Amino acid sequence: MTAHIDLWWLPRAFILGLLAFIIFGPLTNLLLWTVAEKWYFPHMLPLEYGFTFWQRVFSPRGNAMASLMTSIVVATLTVIASLVLAIPAGYALSRLKLPFRGLILLAFLIPQAFPNLPVYVNIARFFYEIGLNGTIAGVVMVHVTHGLVYAVWIATAAFSAVDIDLEEAARSIGAGPLRAFRDVTLPLAAPGLMASAIFVFLESLDEFTGSYFVGAPVVNTLPLLLYTAGSGGNYQIASITALLLLVPSIGFMLVVERFLRADVLSKVGH
Amino acid sequence: MKTLLQASLILGLAATPAAAGDLTVLTAGDQNMVDYINDYLGPLFEKENPGTTVRVVGTGPGDAGSQKIVERFDAQAKANVDKWDADVAVVHEKFAGPLVKDGYLESYRSKIPSGEMVTSEKAKMALGANVDGYVMPMFSSQTAIAYNPALIPNPPKSYEELVAWAKQNPKQFGYNGIKGGASGVSFVMGWIYAFGDGDANKLMNGPFEEAETKKWDKAFASLKDFTTNATLTPGNAGTLDMLSRGEIAMGPVWVDMFYSWQADGKLPPEMKLFLPAPGMPGQPMHYVIPSKSPNTELAEKFVALATSPKVQADGIVKRFNWYPGIDAKFVQPELDKASWDKLFVDISPADLATKAKPFPIAPYNSAILEAYEKNVAN
Amino acid sequence: MQTRFLALLLVLPALIMIVLFFIVPLFASILGAFEVGDSFGLGNFSKSFDLYSKDMIFTVVIVSISTVLIGLLSIAIGGYLTLGENPRSVAILRWLYRWPMFIPFIVVGQVLRTFLAKNGLMNNILVSLGILTPLQTTGFLDWRGIVIAFVWKQTPFVTLLVAGAMASLDRSTIEAARNLGASRLRILIEIVVPQISGTLLVGLILSFVTMMSVLSVPLMINAQSPTMLTADIAFRINAHGDYGVANALGVISLLLTAGVALIYLRQTMKDRL
Repeated sequence: MTAHIDLWWLPRAFILGLLAFIIFGPLTNLLLWTVAEKWYFPHMLPLEYGFTFWQRVFSPRGNAMASLMTSIVVATLTVIASLVLAIPAGYALSRLKLPFRGLILLAFLIPQAFPNLPVYVNIARFFYEIGLNGTIAGVVMVHVTHGLVYAVWIATAAFSAVDIDLEEAARSIGAGPLRAFRDVTLPLAAPGLMASAIFVFLESLDEFTGSYFVGAPVVNTLPLLLYTAGSGGNYQIASITALLLLVPSIGFMLVVERFLRADVLSKVGH
Repeated sequence: MKTLLQASLILGLAATPAAAGDLTVLTAGDQNMVDYINDYLGPLFEKENPGTTVRVVGTGPGDAGSQKIVERFDAQAKANVDKWDADVAVVHEKFAGPLVKDGYLESYRSKIPSGEMVTSEKAKMALGANVDGYVMPMFSSQTAIAYNPALIPNPPKSYEELVAWAKQNPKQFGYNGIKGGASGVSFVMGWIYAFGDGDANKLMNGPFEEAETKKWDKAFASLKDFTTNATLTPGNAGTLDMLSRGEIAMGPVWVDMFYSWQADGKLPPEMKLFLPAPGMPGQPMHYVIPSKSPNTELAEKFVALATSPKVQADGIVKRFNWYPGIDAKFVQPELDKASWDKLFVDISPADLATKAKPFPIAPYNSAILEAYEKNVAN
Repeated sequence: MQTRFLALLLVLPALIMIVLFFIVPLFASILGAFEVGDSFGLGNFSKSFDLYSKDMIFTVVIVSISTVLIGLLSIAIGGYLTLGENPRSVAILRWLYRWPMFIPFIVVGQVLRTFLAKNGLMNNILVSLGILTPLQTTGFLDWRGIVIAFVWKQTPFVTLLVAGAMASLDRSTIEAARNLGASRLRILIEIVVPQISGTLLVGLILSFVTMMSVLSVPLMINAQSPTMLTADIAFRINAHGDYGVANALGVISLLLTAGVALIYLRQTMKDRL
């Protein structure tokens, strides 16, 4: 038995090592660029390291920190709004009889499916008319329309995956529909919902086009800084900004996982 | 829904509105454009006009960046917004014409002192559209071929020699087609100037004649041939990127991008530029002021400062190695000889005078791009 | 009837949000696709097919290949996380797989461009380790680069969903099959995957849609033509100011994704009947 296990560590270590290379190779590249002062052929690694570009990103007029805060606020509000809208919708779409169900699900997909560059002009125009341009609320709304597809589709799948018998059992022992939902269905669907929250958060954190048309110049999110640097090939600045964006993303995921563990795992056993 | 709208309006009002004395500048172009205003021009302007704050938004490099500015203006015009949320914009030459045509811009050149120092034809006509009075050139940008003299001691001097060189060195020449940015477009335009059967001057100055567009078949056939022997790169930055890793030895680049890549340590310092005969196009970036800017006067002051000989010398030439937007004879006296000469290390003033061409006027421009898509890319 | 009304009421807020803030503005764009000069017609569509039919096929093929690979990898990773017996490997894998998810697409483009290029970091590492010689190196900056970028970025996304669904499965059938001596691979394919197929499909369709709309990856990685539709749309707008063809391409792209989404919808409909 022990010999058997000893033999298996080799392929396991090999595959994990390969995976680590595939995942961290490009990420190492990113990290190197954040501190590379000089890096060109034929040198395999940067010729000079330093923090000049960090100074540029964090220069007082660069507004990196303020933009980061705005990004976090916008992303958090987007997640809250999306979940508030998506949980009832997902429940209805998965459990209740609904006319045109397929069409409704498809409708949520459209903001992702139609390349949105041409549409934003119209959205911006509409937002100018109702005075939403240049407001946090406006940016959040645009992000919510994009995030909803994740939230609604995943919520629908998550609720569908919950065994309907459990809910009915709760109802049969006298729980009201809201109570059955809160105590049985919601906790069981929580992993899916939380996953969707992470995606909505990331989607909002990375969004550029909508933020530009609706938010700038008043509401500046971090991707507005990232976009020019990224598409212009300013590797150092783009890498540093991306690294900054990692902080809230990973922080948010850790918070979500903390919730998950405390809340769900205790109930799954019952 | 109504309450949702109301709630959002309240939230919206809570966001900081633009204070009086805030000057918003939208700029297309690379990160260095944003940095230029943030690090140099903005602080300078704020010092000269106490109480004002300059706020800059970068909209991205290339045509896409300028297009985003146009779209922003479109949206505000269609929504009948009284006071727009931008005071000054920096756009590529190509977009100045349409902006003037749509009536979005203020005619301001005669109102600022540096207006008279602009002598270039490009400040009057932008790709065949009359923009006289509405634009002030920020700097002139030029495309050229970058190469590594360590690998290529004697670079080709003309498009013909370039073709021969590329044949001997397959895949060593790289350009970015026409979809990835204007440095590739510029190379293609130069190709048509060099090998098209029509009159290149007509392409640059007009008038537009349908018959002229039929004279490029041979040029495109040879370009297709040439392209199979070349490397295609992903974008303006993609060409520089492949040059920096030694995957190609030569390729068309924007001179200003080339220098900023070198300054950022992403290109070997020994790399150089040349302009092949008969020439390659370049274009200015223009300062424009929307007529519905909330701070027109302040905006004029800003552009006046930005195009003053002193700023053109210190900011444009000395800091960035960009060619000045106003007539060089007003800029040169502000500079020491070394800084001035540095501008012409690779490309001599004589070369610039004869080989720096404008882009074709807009209808030819579109026709060439479409013909390229049909004949070369397929 | 009453539950129908309730159901509608529950969906309505989210639906209003989408309709008001996206679908209504979208209408102008869809109309624009049919505008040719001053009249309506299919001119923009015929031009789109003339110029970009290759790109349409390319886009669908690239995105489909990526989707399949993402599906396989996410099942493999999720499966190991659920059925793996070496706690340390499971922990390492759980820690490892998620990172790419947090990198924005525009940075994915940049990072992989400098990583996968002929003289990029990957080949440099392989050469210095002696695995390759400099002459054997090839760059991946073509369609393969796009696929690699998509799979790299999107696999964690689907895996997160799939692994979550697998974790909340009832363990008893798995244990029973295990006790009967079934191999883990068989359990994965015959017991686990069928039960999470709904979630997997949702994840894959969302990935498909996301990849269809990404602009920065094809722009930054793929130099050759054919290229992806998003790059064509950006080109029509930025180089020609041609919203007609851009919108027509948008409509085509929307129809392609809707087609894929319908596969899923039909299946869930079948499940429900």
